[in-house]
Amino acid sequence: MIDLKDITKTYRKSGGMEVKVLQGVSLKIEKGEYVAIMAPSGMGKSTLMNIIGCLDKPSTGEYRLDGIEVDKMDDDSLSSVRNKKIGFVFQSFHLLPRTTALENVQLPLIYSTDELDMNALASTALEEVGLGDRVNYVPSELSGGQQQRVAIARSLVNDPSILLADEPTGNLDTASSTEVMSIFDKLHKDGRTIVMVTHSDEIAQRASRIIRMRDGKIVSDERRAA
Amino acid sequence: MKQTQTIKLAMRAIGMNKMRAFLMMLGVIIGITTLTVIVSVGKGASAKVMKTVQNFGANAVVVFAGGGKVMGPPDEKVNTLTMEDAQAIMQEIKGIRSMDTALIRVSRTVKYEENNTNTAIYGGTVNYGDAWEWSTESGDYFTEEDVASMARVAVVGKTVVNELYGSTDPIGTNIKIENVNFKVIGVLAPRGTSPMGMDMDSRVVIPYTTASRRVFNTPYISLIRMAAVDPNQIEKMESDIAALLKERHHIQAGFPEDYRVRGASSVSKMAKGMMGTLNLFLGLVSLISLVVGGIVVMNIMLISVGERVNEIGLRRAVGARKNDIRNQFLIESSLITLMGGVIGVLVGLVVSILLPILSKGKMPAMLSWEPFVLGFIFSVLVGILAGLHPAKKAAEMDPVIALKG
Repeated sequence: MIDLKDITKTYRKSGGMEVKVLQGVSLKIEKGEYVAIMAPSGMGKSTLMNIIGCLDKPSTGEYRLDGIEVDKMDDDSLSSVRNKKIGFVFQSFHLLPRTTALENVQLPLIYSTDELDMNALASTALEEVGLGDRVNYVPSELSGGQQQRVAIARSLVNDPSILLADEPTGNLDTASSTEVMSIFDKLHKDGRTIVMVTHSDEIAQRASRIIRMRDGKIVSDERRAA
Repeated sequence: MKQTQTIKLAMRAIGMNKMRAFLMMLGVIIGITTLTVIVSVGKGASAKVMKTVQNFGANAVVVFAGGGKVMGPPDEKVNTLTMEDAQAIMQEIKGIRSMDTALIRVSRTVKYEENNTNTAIYGGTVNYGDAWEWSTESGDYFTEEDVASMARVAVVGKTVVNELYGSTDPIGTNIKIENVNFKVIGVLAPRGTSPMGMDMDSRVVIPYTTASRRVFNTPYISLIRMAAVDPNQIEKMESDIAALLKERHHIQAGFPEDYRVRGASSVSKMAKGMMGTLNLFLGLVSLISLVVGGIVVMNIMLISVGERVNEIGLRRAVGARKNDIRNQFLIESSLITLMGGVIGVLVGLVVSILLPILSKGKMPAMLSWEPFVLGFIFSVLVGILAGLHPAKKAAEMDPVIALKG
């Protein structure tokens, strides 16, 4: 499903100095896997996530997503891939303020070219994360955990191939973290493919596969019994 | 992305900050208000010019005694125009259908019984009605015999009738002009306002001979009024008459003339010139407001883009293309200016209704559909032009960086 071959990413800093953030990453992730990517800050895990999520392009290397060569696509096609195949969950939720949970969840659908029943799809997604009774709440009326669950519903609404979660519990207290992580567990059980960036061992232990990175390279790849 | 969704999104963004939206609209409101007033006043003014030219006489040429630039009857002390001048013009200039020579005195007391009023006394010939293309409403003009015998007969204007008689029929009554008794034999049809804004109905017409010898004791005349056979010849007649008088009055090159020749075309030019100045001023106000309004919209949109970096990043992440983001901001800015435009047209129409009332008719205005079209085009244009740069900036943002910001 995800097939990265020898991916590198080089940034040019304002001083003209080049920084190699990824130095040849090869990685295959199959459908239904629950992968945790762990690395200290600044070791390339966010860049890897952005490349997997088609927000960023690799400098060199090949990336196939569902058999499609996405590394050669233009900006509009990548937008379309993100819209159909990727669901993002961010550390800081990124919900639109003064906008109801339902409308926040609908956001990916308005950029879809298909004719969709936006209300029905968004309601179903909210029910899936246990917020069926909160559809008309705006973010400021919801707890942190609930806000992140709205964000998860938003990532699910277009029925993506992969969920990409970047430190999804980074802004949450322990109780809310547990609440959010149990949603991911449930989604994994339902057969979703999840790739999560975290630096918490406790969170990573829930995944079926833990990949550790350092200095832009994968240093260990550990599969665990579910 | 669906267009209805884009518009809904933009409406929400505008609704989230109403005060800011209003400030963004303000320049456009002022600009479009002014634009609407220009159109309304312009239309009213050109209708007024048409009326003025009609009142003056569409095929009239008038020679006034005395020089200068203005219109209207000459000063009483000016003794430059004679009956001989009039006869010379009649002989030399082709295309004159009818000519009236007149001795005019303004603001003279006219009495009827206990009532009196100040009005213009107009000593004219039997050609008065024809040269002015002015009929009587009741009664008749005086005859050749009246002129020959210096008869004390008078034809009075509508305003004079209203002020002296009220509802009484003036025909057959006696009035006193400068303490000379006159018999009223006719009433002029109402004519309205002259190009100089004078009430043309405030006048009493008496035979030239009577005015010259019995009342005012002067051989000089105040003006010569001609009706042209062909209105297209008026400009040529004006210059021919001017040349003839220049020669007769021995005016050396470089010296001021002691007469003025005015035709329908120069009257309309003058009237339009006055309106043109006002329109130019208002036009500048409108243009400046729209430009300043556009700059304000652009600046606030730039601020808005800066504040919504996260939102832009998120939209890009969930599948918005660059064009979707660009359109969202473009539609937002044009919706704001369009709202400003609609408010501007409405305020402008209210001003256009109030102006003629407040100026007591001096600033005529005509309501029409054009402001709606112009307001729509200009406000949307300002919105698109002002939104282009901010919208492009938002669309070109790197989603990775936008999500972090």
